[in-house]
Amino acid sequence: MIHEKPRPRVGPDSAPFWKGCREHRLMLPTCTACGKAHLPPGPVCPFCFADAIEWRQASGRGTISTWTAVHKAWFPAFAAEAPYNVIQVELDEGPRLTSNLLGGDVPKIGQRVEMVFDDVDAELTLHRFRVI
Amino acid sequence: MTVDAAIVGIGCSAFGRGLPDSQLGLAAFAFKEALDDAGLTREDVDGLSIHLGAPLGVDYDRFAEALGLDIRYVNQSWLHGRFVTNALQHAALAVSAGLADVVACVTAVSFTRERGFLGGPGDVEGNREEGGTHGEAPPYGLTAPAGGAAIAMQRYMHLYGATSAQLAAVPISIRQHALNNPRAIMQQPLTLEAHQTARMVVDPLRLFDCCLISDGAAIVLVTRADRARDLKQKPVRIAAMQGMRSGREEFIFAPRGLGINQQSGKRSFARERDLEIFAQGIARENVQGFYTYDAFSPLVLFALERFGYCGVGEAAAFVQGGRIGPGGALPVNTSGGLLSEAHVAGWNSICEMTRQLRGSAGASQIRDAAALQWGTAWGDSVILTRDA
Repeated sequence: MIHEKPRPRVGPDSAPFWKGCREHRLMLPTCTACGKAHLPPGPVCPFCFADAIEWRQASGRGTISTWTAVHKAWFPAFAAEAPYNVIQVELDEGPRLTSNLLGGDVPKIGQRVEMVFDDVDAELTLHRFRVI
Repeated sequence: MTVDAAIVGIGCSAFGRGLPDSQLGLAAFAFKEALDDAGLTREDVDGLSIHLGAPLGVDYDRFAEALGLDIRYVNQSWLHGRFVTNALQHAALAVSAGLADVVACVTAVSFTRERGFLGGPGDVEGNREEGGTHGEAPPYGLTAPAGGAAIAMQRYMHLYGATSAQLAAVPISIRQHALNNPRAIMQQPLTLEAHQTARMVVDPLRLFDCCLISDGAAIVLVTRADRARDLKQKPVRIAAMQGMRSGREEFIFAPRGLGINQQSGKRSFARERDLEIFAQGIARENVQGFYTYDAFSPLVLFALERFGYCGVGEAAAFVQGGRIGPGGALPVNTSGGLLSEAHVAGWNSICEMTRQLRGSAGASQIRDAAALQWGTAWGDSVILTRDA
Protein backbone atom coordinates (compact mmCIF):
# COMPACT_ATOMS: atom_id res chain seq x y z
CA MET A 1 0.00 0.00 0.00
CA ILE A 2 1.24 3.47 -0.84
CA HIS A 3 1.22 6.05 1.92
CA GLU A 4 -0.63 8.95 0.29
CA LYS A 5 -0.32 11.53 3.02
CA PRO A 6 2.43 14.13 2.77
CA ARG A 7 5.83 12.69 3.58
CA PRO A 8 8.62 14.43 5.48
CA ARG A 9 10.89 16.40 3.18
CA VAL A 10 14.14 14.87 4.26
CA GLY A 11 17.14 17.18 3.80
CA PRO A 12 20.80 17.10 4.77
CA ASP A 13 20.16 18.53 8.24
CA SER A 14 17.17 16.32 9.07
CA ALA A 15 18.19 12.99 7.47
CA PRO A 16 19.66 11.50 10.69
CA PHE A 17 16.41 12.28 12.53
CA TRP A 18 14.29 10.32 10.03
CA LYS A 19 16.86 7.55 9.78
CA GLY A 20 16.61 7.26 13.55
CA CYS A 21 12.83 6.93 13.34
CA ARG A 22 13.29 4.17 10.76
CA GLU A 23 15.45 2.37 13.34
CA HIS A 24 12.88 3.13 16.07
CA ARG A 25 15.18 5.47 17.92
CA LEU A 26 14.64 9.15 18.65
CA MET A 27 17.85 10.88 17.62
CA LEU A 28 18.37 14.54 18.46
CA PRO A 29 21.07 16.90 17.22
CA THR A 30 22.94 17.69 20.41
CA CYS A 31 25.69 20.22 20.97
CA THR A 32 28.87 18.73 22.44
CA ALA A 33 29.94 22.21 23.61
CA CYS A 34 26.90 23.25 25.68
CA GLY A 35 25.10 19.91 25.87
CA LYS A 36 21.74 21.17 24.60
CA ALA A 37 19.62 19.39 22.02
CA HIS A 38 17.66 21.37 19.45
CA LEU A 39 14.91 20.98 16.88
CA PRO A 40 14.29 21.37 14.02
CA PRO A 41 17.71 19.98 13.13
CA GLY A 42 20.05 22.77 12.07
CA PRO A 43 23.64 23.20 10.99
CA VAL A 44 24.89 24.80 14.22
CA CYS A 45 23.84 24.92 17.86
CA PRO A 46 21.25 27.72 18.06
CA PHE A 47 22.07 28.23 21.76
CA CYS A 48 25.88 28.55 21.84
CA PHE A 49 26.54 28.78 18.06
CA ALA A 50 29.06 25.93 18.15
CA ASP A 51 29.47 23.69 15.12
CA ALA A 52 29.91 20.64 17.32
CA ILE A 53 26.65 18.81 16.65
CA GLU A 54 26.41 15.15 17.54
CA TRP A 55 23.35 12.98 17.04
CA ARG A 56 22.43 11.38 20.36
CA GLN A 57 19.63 9.04 21.23
CA ALA A 58 16.99 10.71 23.40
CA SER A 59 14.51 9.29 25.87
CA GLY A 60 11.42 9.69 23.71
CA ARG A 61 9.51 10.93 26.74
CA GLY A 62 7.97 14.32 27.16
CA THR A 63 4.95 16.42 28.04
CA ILE A 64 2.14 17.66 25.81
CA SER A 65 2.56 21.43 25.53
CA THR A 66 -0.32 22.11 23.15
CA TRP A 67 -2.68 20.31 20.81
CA THR A 68 -5.50 20.73 18.36
CA ALA A 69 -8.15 18.63 16.70
CA VAL A 70 -8.26 19.11 12.95
CA HIS A 71 -11.84 18.98 11.66
CA LYS A 72 -11.35 20.39 8.18
CA ALA A 73 -9.74 18.07 5.65
CA TRP A 74 -7.33 20.32 3.79
CA PHE A 75 -5.69 17.16 2.42
CA PRO A 76 -7.96 14.51 0.92
CA ALA A 77 -5.73 11.82 2.41
CA PHE A 78 -6.63 12.91 5.95
CA ALA A 79 -10.39 13.25 5.31
CA ALA A 80 -11.39 9.80 6.55
CA GLU A 81 -9.77 10.41 9.94
CA ALA A 82 -11.10 13.92 10.63
CA PRO A 83 -11.36 15.07 13.31
CA TYR A 84 -7.93 13.89 14.32
CA ASN A 85 -5.51 15.28 16.87
CA VAL A 86 -2.16 16.97 16.44
CA ILE A 87 0.01 17.53 19.49
CA GLN A 88 3.19 19.34 20.35
CA VAL A 89 5.38 17.53 22.84
CA GLU A 90 8.06 19.17 24.90
CA LEU A 91 10.66 16.44 25.05
CA ASP A 92 12.46 15.87 28.34
CA GLU A 93 15.62 16.94 26.50
CA GLY A 94 14.03 20.35 25.80
CA PRO A 95 13.01 20.74 22.15
CA ARG A 96 9.40 20.47 20.98
CA LEU A 97 8.12 18.16 18.31
CA THR A 98 4.81 18.02 16.44
CA SER A 99 3.15 14.62 16.24
CA ASN A 100 -0.09 12.73 16.92
CA LEU A 101 -1.39 11.14 20.12
CA LEU A 102 -2.54 7.53 19.78
CA GLY A 103 -5.28 5.95 21.82
CA GLY A 104 -8.33 8.01 21.01
CA ASP A 105 -8.40 10.31 24.04
CA VAL A 106 -8.53 14.08 23.76
CA PRO A 107 -4.97 15.29 24.47
CA LYS A 108 -4.40 17.29 27.65
CA ILE A 109 -1.72 19.91 28.08
CA GLY A 110 0.69 18.69 30.76
CA GLN A 111 0.06 15.01 30.02
CA ARG A 112 3.14 12.76 30.09
CA VAL A 113 3.71 10.85 26.86
CA GLU A 114 6.27 8.59 25.24
CA MET A 115 7.22 8.11 21.61
CA VAL A 116 6.21 5.08 19.59
CA PHE A 117 7.16 4.34 16.01
CA ASP A 118 4.72 3.77 13.18
CA ASP A 119 6.14 1.98 10.13
CA VAL A 120 3.74 3.47 7.61
CA ASP A 121 5.30 1.84 4.54
CA ALA A 122 8.49 0.21 3.32
CA GLU A 123 10.50 3.45 3.43
CA LEU A 124 8.91 5.65 6.04
CA THR A 125 8.54 5.50 9.80
CA LEU A 126 6.72 8.33 11.59
CA HIS A 127 6.88 8.98 15.30
CA ARG A 128 3.67 9.16 17.30
CA PHE A 129 3.07 9.35 21.04
CA ARG A 130 1.04 7.50 23.64
CA VAL A 131 0.14 8.41 27.18
CA ILE A 132 2.54 6.96 29.75
CA MET B 1 18.10 58.83 7.42
CA THR B 2 14.79 60.13 8.72
CA VAL B 3 11.64 58.49 7.43
CA ASP B 4 9.74 61.23 5.65
CA ALA B 5 6.82 59.58 3.93
CA ALA B 6 3.09 59.84 3.52
CA ILE B 7 0.23 57.90 2.00
CA VAL B 8 -1.26 60.06 -0.75
CA GLY B 9 -3.52 57.72 -2.68
CA ILE B 10 -5.57 54.60 -2.07
CA GLY B 11 -7.54 52.42 -4.43
CA CYS B 12 -9.47 49.19 -4.11
CA SER B 13 -11.14 46.81 -6.49
CA ALA B 14 -14.44 45.25 -5.62
CA PHE B 15 -14.11 42.68 -2.86
CA GLY B 16 -15.89 39.38 -3.30
CA ARG B 17 -15.77 35.64 -3.57
CA GLY B 18 -15.33 34.07 -6.96
CA LEU B 19 -14.71 37.34 -8.79
CA PRO B 20 -14.12 36.64 -12.50
CA ASP B 21 -11.20 39.07 -12.89
CA SER B 22 -7.57 38.10 -13.01
CA GLN B 23 -5.34 39.24 -10.16
CA LEU B 24 -3.73 41.65 -12.60
CA GLY B 25 -7.15 42.93 -13.62
CA LEU B 26 -8.10 43.59 -10.01
CA ALA B 27 -4.76 45.35 -9.49
CA ALA B 28 -5.20 47.54 -12.57
CA PHE B 29 -8.61 48.71 -11.39
CA ALA B 30 -7.29 49.54 -7.92
CA PHE B 31 -4.22 51.25 -9.36
CA LYS B 32 -6.30 53.58 -11.55
CA GLU B 33 -8.48 54.41 -8.58
CA ALA B 34 -5.43 55.15 -6.41
CA LEU B 35 -3.89 57.43 -9.05
CA ASP B 36 -7.15 59.30 -9.41
CA ASP B 37 -7.46 59.55 -5.64
CA ALA B 38 -3.97 61.06 -5.40
CA GLY B 39 -4.17 63.25 -8.47
CA LEU B 40 -1.17 61.47 -9.98
CA THR B 41 -0.57 59.78 -13.30
CA ARG B 42 1.08 56.44 -13.89
CA GLU B 43 4.17 58.28 -15.13
CA ASP B 44 4.63 59.65 -11.60
CA VAL B 45 4.97 56.14 -10.17
CA ASP B 46 8.59 54.98 -10.30
CA GLY B 47 8.62 52.45 -7.47
CA LEU B 48 6.78 49.23 -6.68
CA SER B 49 6.43 47.39 -3.40
CA ILE B 50 4.68 44.15 -4.21
CA HIS B 51 3.26 42.41 -1.18
CA LEU B 52 2.16 39.07 -2.55
CA GLY B 53 4.48 37.87 -5.27
CA ALA B 54 5.02 34.42 -6.68
CA PRO B 55 3.86 31.74 -6.40
CA LEU B 56 0.48 33.22 -5.50
CA GLY B 57 0.41 36.84 -6.62
CA VAL B 58 1.51 39.00 -9.52
CA ASP B 59 5.24 39.62 -9.81
CA TYR B 60 6.62 43.15 -10.08
CA ASP B 61 7.89 42.82 -13.65
CA ARG B 62 4.60 41.56 -15.00
CA PHE B 63 2.76 44.33 -13.14
CA ALA B 64 5.05 47.01 -14.60
CA GLU B 65 4.88 45.50 -18.06
CA ALA B 66 1.11 45.08 -18.08
CA LEU B 67 0.39 48.59 -16.81
CA GLY B 68 3.02 50.29 -18.93
CA LEU B 69 5.15 51.60 -16.07
CA ASP B 70 8.80 52.62 -16.05
CA ILE B 71 10.11 51.60 -12.64
CA ARG B 72 13.42 52.33 -10.89
CA TYR B 73 12.83 50.78 -7.44
CA VAL B 74 11.29 47.42 -6.57
CA ASN B 75 10.62 45.51 -3.40
CA GLN B 76 8.73 42.21 -3.50
CA SER B 77 7.83 39.67 -0.87
CA TRP B 78 6.49 36.20 -1.44
CA LEU B 79 3.06 34.79 -0.82
CA HIS B 80 2.68 35.44 2.90
CA GLY B 81 0.19 37.91 4.28
CA ARG B 82 2.67 38.67 7.04
CA PHE B 83 4.63 41.11 4.90
CA VAL B 84 2.07 43.91 4.82
CA THR B 85 4.04 46.14 7.18
CA ASN B 86 7.24 45.18 5.46
CA ALA B 87 5.93 46.26 2.05
CA LEU B 88 4.72 49.61 3.40
CA GLN B 89 7.98 50.19 5.28
CA HIS B 90 10.04 49.51 2.17
CA ALA B 91 8.00 52.08 0.30
CA ALA B 92 8.53 54.64 3.08
CA LEU B 93 12.26 53.95 3.22
CA ALA B 94 12.63 54.09 -0.56
CA VAL B 95 11.00 57.50 -0.93
CA SER B 96 12.87 58.82 2.11
CA ALA B 97 16.20 57.69 0.64
CA GLY B 98 15.41 59.07 -2.79
CA LEU B 99 15.34 55.67 -4.46
CA ALA B 100 11.89 56.50 -5.80
CA ASP B 101 9.53 59.46 -5.86
CA VAL B 102 6.25 57.58 -5.69
CA VAL B 103 5.99 53.93 -4.67
CA ALA B 104 2.86 51.91 -5.33
CA CYS B 105 2.25 49.22 -2.71
CA VAL B 106 0.43 46.50 -4.59
CA THR B 107 -1.68 43.66 -3.25
CA ALA B 108 -3.95 41.73 -5.56
CA VAL B 109 -5.19 38.28 -4.78
CA SER B 110 -7.74 35.76 -6.00
CA PHE B 111 -7.84 33.43 -3.04
CA THR B 112 -11.02 31.71 -4.22
CA ARG B 113 -9.31 30.65 -7.43
CA GLU B 114 -6.00 29.86 -5.76
CA ARG B 115 -7.22 28.28 -2.54
CA GLY B 116 -5.07 25.21 -3.11
CA PHE B 117 -2.24 27.33 -1.72
CA LEU B 118 -3.97 27.46 1.64
CA GLY B 119 -3.01 24.27 3.41
CA GLY B 120 -3.84 21.74 0.71
CA PRO B 121 -1.73 19.62 -1.61
CA GLY B 122 -0.91 22.74 -3.65
CA ASP B 123 0.64 24.51 -0.67
CA VAL B 124 4.26 24.43 -1.79
CA GLU B 125 5.27 26.58 1.12
CA GLY B 126 3.66 24.47 3.82
CA ASN B 127 5.15 21.32 2.33
CA ARG B 128 8.74 22.45 2.08
CA GLU B 129 11.70 20.77 3.70
CA GLU B 130 11.07 21.62 7.34
CA GLY B 131 7.39 22.37 7.14
CA GLY B 132 5.81 25.76 6.80
CA THR B 133 6.36 28.77 8.97
CA HIS B 134 2.93 28.64 10.59
CA GLY B 135 3.89 25.43 12.38
CA GLU B 136 2.79 23.19 9.54
CA ALA B 137 3.79 19.56 10.00
CA PRO B 138 2.23 17.98 6.92
CA PRO B 139 3.00 14.30 7.71
CA TYR B 140 1.06 14.74 10.97
CA GLY B 141 -1.91 16.47 9.41
CA LEU B 142 -1.20 20.04 10.46
CA THR B 143 -1.13 21.56 7.01
CA ALA B 144 -2.77 24.99 7.06
CA PRO B 145 -1.91 28.35 8.62
CA ALA B 146 -5.07 28.05 10.74
CA GLY B 147 -3.42 25.14 12.55
CA GLY B 148 -0.65 27.39 13.81
CA ALA B 149 -3.15 29.84 15.25
CA ALA B 150 -5.10 26.95 16.78
CA ILE B 151 -2.18 25.39 18.68
CA ALA B 152 -1.24 28.84 19.97
CA MET B 153 -4.78 29.63 21.13
CA GLN B 154 -5.17 26.20 22.73
CA ARG B 155 -2.11 26.82 24.89
CA TYR B 156 -3.16 30.41 25.59
CA MET B 157 -6.56 29.16 26.81
CA HIS B 158 -4.87 26.58 29.03
CA LEU B 159 -2.49 29.11 30.58
CA TYR B 160 -4.91 31.97 31.14
CA GLY B 161 -8.35 30.38 31.30
CA ALA B 162 -9.59 32.20 28.21
CA THR B 163 -12.63 30.67 26.51
CA SER B 164 -14.01 30.35 23.01
CA ALA B 165 -16.97 32.49 24.06
CA GLN B 166 -14.54 35.26 25.06
CA LEU B 167 -12.65 34.87 21.82
CA ALA B 168 -15.95 35.33 19.97
CA ALA B 169 -15.92 39.00 20.97
CA VAL B 170 -13.21 39.52 18.35
CA PRO B 171 -15.13 38.40 15.24
CA ILE B 172 -18.41 39.78 16.63
CA SER B 173 -16.91 43.25 17.20
CA ILE B 174 -15.19 43.27 13.84
CA ARG B 175 -18.44 42.20 12.18
CA GLN B 176 -20.16 45.16 13.85
CA HIS B 177 -17.63 47.41 12.16
CA ALA B 178 -18.24 45.68 8.82
CA LEU B 179 -21.96 46.49 9.07
CA ASN B 180 -20.96 50.16 8.75
CA ASN B 181 -19.04 49.42 5.55
CA PRO B 182 -20.96 48.71 2.35
CA ARG B 183 -17.80 47.29 0.71
CA ALA B 184 -17.54 44.54 3.33
CA ILE B 185 -18.40 41.06 2.11
CA MET B 186 -20.10 40.08 5.37
CA GLN B 187 -23.25 42.12 5.90
CA GLN B 188 -25.17 40.09 8.50
CA PRO B 189 -24.71 40.57 12.26
CA LEU B 190 -22.78 37.82 14.03
CA THR B 191 -24.20 36.60 17.33
CA LEU B 192 -22.45 34.74 20.10
CA GLU B 193 -24.78 31.81 19.50
CA ALA B 194 -23.94 31.71 15.80
CA HIS B 195 -20.25 31.81 16.66
CA GLN B 196 -20.50 29.03 19.22
CA THR B 197 -22.61 26.72 17.08
CA ALA B 198 -20.65 27.21 13.86
CA ARG B 199 -18.58 24.28 12.71
CA MET B 200 -15.24 23.62 14.30
CA VAL B 201 -12.40 24.06 11.82
CA VAL B 202 -9.31 23.40 13.88
CA ASP B 203 -9.94 23.32 17.61
CA PRO B 204 -10.47 25.87 19.20
CA LEU B 205 -11.00 27.89 16.01
CA ARG B 206 -14.56 27.81 14.77
CA LEU B 207 -15.70 29.01 11.35
CA PHE B 208 -16.03 32.68 12.30
CA ASP B 209 -12.60 32.73 13.94
CA CYS B 210 -11.16 32.23 10.46
CA CYS B 211 -10.98 35.00 7.91
CA LEU B 212 -12.67 35.18 4.56
CA ILE B 213 -11.25 33.45 1.52
CA SER B 214 -11.87 36.24 -0.96
CA ASP B 215 -10.66 38.15 -3.99
CA GLY B 216 -9.63 41.74 -4.30
CA ALA B 217 -6.88 44.27 -4.76
CA ALA B 218 -5.72 47.32 -2.87
CA ILE B 219 -3.11 49.87 -3.88
CA VAL B 220 -1.49 52.40 -1.57
CA LEU B 221 0.65 55.21 -3.01
CA VAL B 222 3.51 56.53 -0.91
CA THR B 223 5.65 59.61 -1.49
CA ARG B 224 7.77 62.07 0.50
CA ALA B 225 5.83 64.18 2.98
CA ASP B 226 6.82 67.50 1.37
CA ARG B 227 5.63 66.35 -2.03
CA ALA B 228 2.48 64.91 -0.47
CA ARG B 229 1.34 68.40 0.59
CA ASP B 230 1.09 69.47 -3.05
CA LEU B 231 -1.24 66.62 -3.98
CA LYS B 232 -4.98 66.24 -4.03
CA GLN B 233 -5.65 64.62 -0.66
CA LYS B 234 -4.80 65.50 2.91
CA PRO B 235 -1.59 63.50 3.42
CA VAL B 236 -1.47 60.70 5.95
CA ARG B 237 1.96 60.58 7.57
CA ILE B 238 3.87 57.40 8.26
CA ALA B 239 4.86 58.78 11.63
CA ALA B 240 6.53 55.82 13.33
CA MET B 241 7.49 52.28 12.51
CA GLN B 242 9.16 49.16 13.81
CA GLY B 243 10.13 45.97 12.04
CA MET B 244 9.15 42.34 12.20
CA ARG B 245 10.43 40.22 15.09
CA SER B 246 11.98 36.83 14.51
CA GLY B 247 13.94 34.24 16.47
CA ARG B 248 13.43 31.16 18.61
CA GLU B 249 11.22 33.11 21.02
CA GLU B 250 8.95 34.06 18.14
CA PHE B 251 6.28 32.05 16.38
CA ILE B 252 4.30 33.93 13.75
CA PHE B 253 0.92 33.16 15.31
CA ALA B 254 1.73 33.29 19.03
CA PRO B 255 2.79 35.95 21.50
CA ARG B 256 6.51 36.05 22.20
CA GLY B 257 7.57 33.21 24.49
CA LEU B 258 4.17 31.43 24.69
CA GLY B 259 5.67 27.97 24.33
CA ILE B 260 4.83 27.03 20.75
CA ASN B 261 7.46 25.36 18.59
CA GLN B 262 10.79 26.30 20.18
CA GLN B 263 9.61 29.30 22.21
CA SER B 264 10.86 29.11 25.81
CA GLY B 265 7.44 29.36 27.44
CA LYS B 266 8.63 32.34 29.47
CA ARG B 267 6.41 35.30 28.83
CA SER B 268 6.81 38.83 30.07
CA PHE B 269 5.03 42.09 29.61
CA ALA B 270 5.81 43.83 26.34
CA ARG B 271 9.44 44.85 26.49
CA GLU B 272 10.95 48.22 25.68
CA ARG B 273 12.44 46.73 22.52
CA ASP B 274 8.98 45.67 21.39
CA LEU B 275 7.53 49.10 22.07
CA GLU B 276 10.02 51.27 20.22
CA ILE B 277 7.12 52.30 17.99
CA PHE B 278 5.76 54.42 20.86
CA ALA B 279 9.07 56.24 21.43
CA GLN B 280 8.92 58.03 18.10
CA GLY B 281 6.52 60.82 19.00
CA ILE B 282 3.15 59.09 19.40
CA ALA B 283 2.52 57.46 22.76
CA ARG B 284 0.19 54.47 23.04
CA GLU B 285 -2.40 56.48 24.97
CA ASN B 286 -2.73 58.79 21.95
CA VAL B 287 -3.59 55.95 19.55
CA GLN B 288 -7.31 56.18 18.75
CA GLY B 289 -7.74 52.96 16.81
CA PHE B 290 -5.83 49.73 16.34
CA TYR B 291 -5.57 47.79 13.09
CA THR B 292 -4.16 44.32 12.79
CA TYR B 293 -3.85 41.24 10.63
CA ASP B 294 -6.92 39.33 11.74
CA ALA B 295 -6.56 36.20 9.64
CA PHE B 296 -7.63 34.29 12.76
CA SER B 297 -9.33 35.87 15.76
CA PRO B 298 -6.60 34.90 18.30
CA LEU B 299 -4.14 37.08 16.37
CA VAL B 300 -6.06 40.13 17.54
CA LEU B 301 -5.59 39.12 21.16
CA PHE B 302 -1.92 38.43 20.66
CA ALA B 303 -1.30 41.75 18.90
CA LEU B 304 -3.06 43.71 21.66
CA GLU B 305 -0.83 42.04 24.26
CA ARG B 306 2.32 42.50 22.26
CA PHE B 307 1.81 46.24 22.04
CA GLY B 308 0.89 46.51 25.70
CA TYR B 309 -2.76 47.53 25.37
CA CYS B 310 -3.32 44.99 28.13
CA GLY B 311 -1.16 42.70 30.23
CA VAL B 312 -0.01 39.15 29.55
CA GLY B 313 -3.02 36.83 29.43
CA GLU B 314 -5.50 39.68 29.74
CA ALA B 315 -6.53 40.23 26.13
CA ALA B 316 -9.52 37.86 26.13
CA ALA B 317 -11.04 39.89 28.96
CA PHE B 318 -9.88 43.17 27.42
CA VAL B 319 -11.91 42.71 24.21
CA GLN B 320 -15.23 42.20 26.05
CA GLY B 321 -17.99 44.75 26.44
CA GLY B 322 -17.64 46.39 23.05
CA ARG B 323 -14.22 47.87 23.78
CA ILE B 324 -12.89 47.08 20.27
CA GLY B 325 -16.19 47.53 18.44
CA PRO B 326 -17.80 50.65 16.97
CA GLY B 327 -17.66 53.50 19.47
CA GLY B 328 -15.46 51.48 21.82
CA ALA B 329 -12.44 52.79 23.70
CA LEU B 330 -10.11 51.13 21.20
CA PRO B 331 -11.85 50.34 17.91
CA VAL B 332 -10.09 47.54 16.01
CA ASN B 333 -10.23 47.04 12.23
CA THR B 334 -13.02 49.54 11.62
CA SER B 335 -13.75 48.46 8.05
CA GLY B 336 -14.19 44.82 9.00
CA GLY B 337 -10.67 43.46 8.58
CA LEU B 338 -9.92 40.10 7.04
CA LEU B 339 -12.62 38.50 9.17
CA SER B 340 -15.54 40.45 7.70
CA GLU B 341 -14.52 42.93 4.99
CA ALA B 342 -12.18 40.94 2.75
CA HIS B 343 -8.84 39.17 2.79
CA VAL B 344 -6.76 41.68 0.91
CA ALA B 345 -3.87 40.72 3.16
CA GLY B 346 -4.49 43.66 5.48
CA TRP B 347 -4.32 46.41 2.86
CA ASN B 348 -8.04 46.96 3.21
CA SER B 349 -7.19 48.10 6.73
CA ILE B 350 -4.33 50.36 5.56
CA CYS B 351 -6.81 51.99 3.15
CA GLU B 352 -9.33 52.29 5.97
CA MET B 353 -6.77 53.95 8.26
CA THR B 354 -6.08 56.45 5.49
CA ARG B 355 -9.78 57.24 5.10
CA GLN B 356 -10.09 57.62 8.88
CA LEU B 357 -7.22 60.10 9.05
CA ARG B 358 -8.63 62.07 6.14
CA GLY B 359 -11.96 62.19 7.96
CA SER B 360 -13.72 60.41 5.11
CA ALA B 361 -14.58 57.05 6.71
CA GLY B 362 -18.32 57.64 6.67
CA ALA B 363 -20.32 55.62 9.19
CA SER B 364 -17.10 54.03 10.50
CA GLN B 365 -15.44 57.35 11.29
CA ILE B 366 -13.51 57.52 14.56
CA ARG B 367 -14.20 61.01 15.86
CA ASP B 368 -11.36 63.42 15.18
CA ALA B 369 -9.00 60.57 14.27
CA ALA B 370 -5.42 61.87 14.37
CA ALA B 371 -3.24 58.82 15.18
CA LEU B 372 -3.90 55.16 14.38
CA GLN B 373 -1.71 52.11 14.78
CA TRP B 374 -1.22 49.11 12.51
CA GLY B 375 0.51 46.36 14.48
CA THR B 376 0.69 42.62 13.96
CA ALA B 377 0.94 39.64 16.29
CA TRP B 378 4.50 39.16 15.01
CA GLY B 379 5.54 42.58 16.22
CA ASP B 380 5.91 44.89 13.25
CA SER B 381 4.00 48.14 13.23
CA VAL B 382 3.42 51.54 11.71
CA ILE B 383 1.65 54.51 13.24
CA LEU B 384 -0.17 56.73 10.77
CA THR B 385 -1.10 60.28 11.63
CA ARG B 386 -3.11 63.12 10.21
CA ASP B 387 -0.65 65.58 8.71
CA ALA B 388 -0.12 68.53 11.05
